Amino acid sequence: MARRPPITNRVRELREQHGNMTQAQLADAIGVTRQTVIAIEQGRYSPSLESAFRIARIFNVGIEDVFGWKG
Amino acid sequence: MSFHEKSAWIMSVALAMASVFYLRLVAAASAGLGELAPPILPAIIKFTVAMVILAIVGHVIVAIFAPKEADAPLDEREQQIMTRAGNIAGYVLGAGVITSLGIYLFTYDGHLLFYGVFAGLIVSQLAEYLVQILLYRTSW
Repeated sequence: MARRPPITNRVRELREQHGNMTQAQLADAIGVTRQTVIAIEQGRYSPSLESAFRIARIFNVGIEDVFGWKG
Repeated sequence: MSFHEKSAWIMSVALAMASVFYLRLVAAASAGLGELAPPILPAIIKFTVAMVILAIVGHVIVAIFAPKEADAPLDEREQQIMTRAGNIAGYVLGAGVITSLGIYLFTYDGHLLFYGVFAGLIVSQLAEYLVQILLYRTSW
């Protein structure tokens, strides 16, 4: 089983700040499945750099405002 | 649950059911002969047709309920899941083939070699689907 990546994120918080955007809407916007968005929010999956940039651009923030390094 | 995860469930169930069906065919033939029955093409064809029918029916049913998902390509996480599951399945297949070859060196039984390799193929494919499901549900 893959270990949990040491990366934190604020995706759920940013979704809620952007008019309660749903996981499905975000998934469609960045071109992944809703299950992948759930996995990202739960910290079980680290998105690719491209998807990380896409997420940041959707929320109009920098990539480091979305993702951080644990510790 | 994404379409591709549902597909892994369908394929694992279809493969397991078709394998049990094939095993029963071989067991019945072997019981009649009093020894391990030689592999025969009609039994392999029955196994293949059974699996294909089960897989098609399963996928059609799932696609009817979620037609949009059925057309969706694998996303980046799913591609990683498929790659990892395929990698593990490769090891399982290798182990099955090596074990079968090893057994052949002691028995010189070609029928057993065929069944061993065939079983290795089925088990590795089943392992691939099960690892996919595991990774979909627990990690990545």
